[in-house]
Amino acid sequence: MGKISAPRNNREFIEACVKSGDAVRIKQEVDWDNEAGAIVRRCCELGEAAPFMESIKDYPGFSYFGAPLSTYRRMAISLGMDPNSTLPQIGAEYLKRTNSEPVAPVVIDKRDAPCKENILLGADADLCKLPVPLVHDGDGGRYVGTWHAVITKHPVRGDVNWGMYRQMMWDSRTMSGAVFPFSDLGKALTEYYLPRGEGCPFATAIGLSPLAAMAACAPSPIPEPELTGMLSGEPVRLVKCETNDLEVPADAEIIIEGMILPDYKVEEGPFGEYTGYRTSPRDFRVTFRVDAITYRNNATMTISNMGVPQDEGQLLRSFSLGLELEKLLKSQGIPVTGVYMHPRSTHHMMIVGVKPTYAGIAMQIAQLAFGSKLGPWFHMVMVVDDQTDIFNWDEVYHAFCTRCNPERGIHVFKNTTGTALYPHATPHDRKYSIGSQVLFDCLWPVDWDKTNDVPTLVSFKNVYPKDIQEKVVNNWADYGFRGAKK
Amino acid sequence: MANKWEVFVMDLGELAEGKELELTIRTLNDGLHKYTYQRAKVEVSSTLDKFADSLQVRLGRGQLSDRKFSIRVIERVERLPARYR
Repeated sequence: MGKISAPRNNREFIEACVKSGDAVRIKQEVDWDNEAGAIVRRCCELGEAAPFMESIKDYPGFSYFGAPLSTYRRMAISLGMDPNSTLPQIGAEYLKRTNSEPVAPVVIDKRDAPCKENILLGADADLCKLPVPLVHDGDGGRYVGTWHAVITKHPVRGDVNWGMYRQMMWDSRTMSGAVFPFSDLGKALTEYYLPRGEGCPFATAIGLSPLAAMAACAPSPIPEPELTGMLSGEPVRLVKCETNDLEVPADAEIIIEGMILPDYKVEEGPFGEYTGYRTSPRDFRVTFRVDAITYRNNATMTISNMGVPQDEGQLLRSFSLGLELEKLLKSQGIPVTGVYMHPRSTHHMMIVGVKPTYAGIAMQIAQLAFGSKLGPWFHMVMVVDDQTDIFNWDEVYHAFCTRCNPERGIHVFKNTTGTALYPHATPHDRKYSIGSQVLFDCLWPVDWDKTNDVPTLVSFKNVYPKDIQEKVVNNWADYGFRGAKK
Repeated sequence: MANKWEVFVMDLGELAEGKELELTIRTLNDGLHKYTYQRAKVEVSSTLDKFADSLQVRLGRGQLSDRKFSIRVIERVERLPARYR
């Protein structure tokens, strides 16, 4: 693999985005109470440059960086690629890097770790000293973690988990968060810590390098520190926490350390979510007690403002879920030609392109997809043939509306695993993470005669001879039409 | 100085008047601690000048209620076990 020159930390990423016009510096003071959130939300809805807010009311010295990865351009920049790279190019690069050898992290001395420039311990570790924003009016609280990693370690296996579990500030030293029972942290809590009544050490890292955030968001079986190294082409620098044995990214802007309490819960939510709604109920949830805060001088807090498309929750999760499913299906020898989630589906619909070489292939794909670790995060799988451009929604929608037989092409899977965030789920199903899922099989049946039974697609590129197509395209302007040749 | 508070409820019926309630309320006073919570024994009233402090209400998904209350915070309730303080 060639040398990768990706931004190594959040600050280099911001500089690269400003330089390319993909971020704007906002000099005027911005209020942490709704205003910053409103700016980020509007940027997401307009597909704007990312706002780098350099002056925060009540919090001199701190800044915000909003919507860090809500466009494919910024995703390309985060990978050290040309911002004009196409989505298939970005996807191919992600697959190439994540199929390479794992890159182990390195642990550095505390004196060399920027995240240790300021250290608050015990009662001084007051979350209100950080510019925690009220992201949406009406949220259940100020959200500390919207684009971050909650770092924990499995007590028996020892594997490290970086996960993006949202965290709300409940009081100066307490946060509450949504941790689903099927997640890595959820399983560790319910299988180990809670039955034993033991606290689970945690660290929250905010203002990560964009590739560390990408790794924390990716449903990959590769441990996130190694995955980050594979994506960036160099080892992640870690440093030991002040109050527990966890290791955290040394270049992160802010680190919050503490303990997940086994026998005490406070309320969390509601919160504006990636589905574009406030769906999950306010409830007593996993509770994090803070023991220490460390942060860089002039720390920048990252903000993701989830809501209607499109924000990085939808964009990045769609991207990584699709590519991880592609890896899974290929590992099973299924002749997939591509997997893609349109971010505007709020990562609910997986579109799979496949060579339909045998009967039942769509069902096999759906069973693998829904039965995998990825499954709870989407509830629709649509399978189209290799002649359909999965990145072109017009083609996919046409295939769905014309080839999916209402009786034989739609298969519902009941009593699966869901999340509390599904807007269509009943209140009961949300509470217990009960799901239901559906396959839309848009393939022509293999037992249809290909000559006489399978309809012919009537399109410019499919029914005319190549020489006629070229003649028409080349004469397009001469006919009197405007527009570029295609 | 009067304080401003906010509470989340699923149903306004949770705010019964004329008796002591235990609620999770958050401060709306300006400053660094705005929106932080505490558990407290309180009394509420739909008569806005009955108590000095005011209470704003939000429903289950964050919708702001039209109903306003006044509130008296009787005492703070500490539920966090002592070993974690």
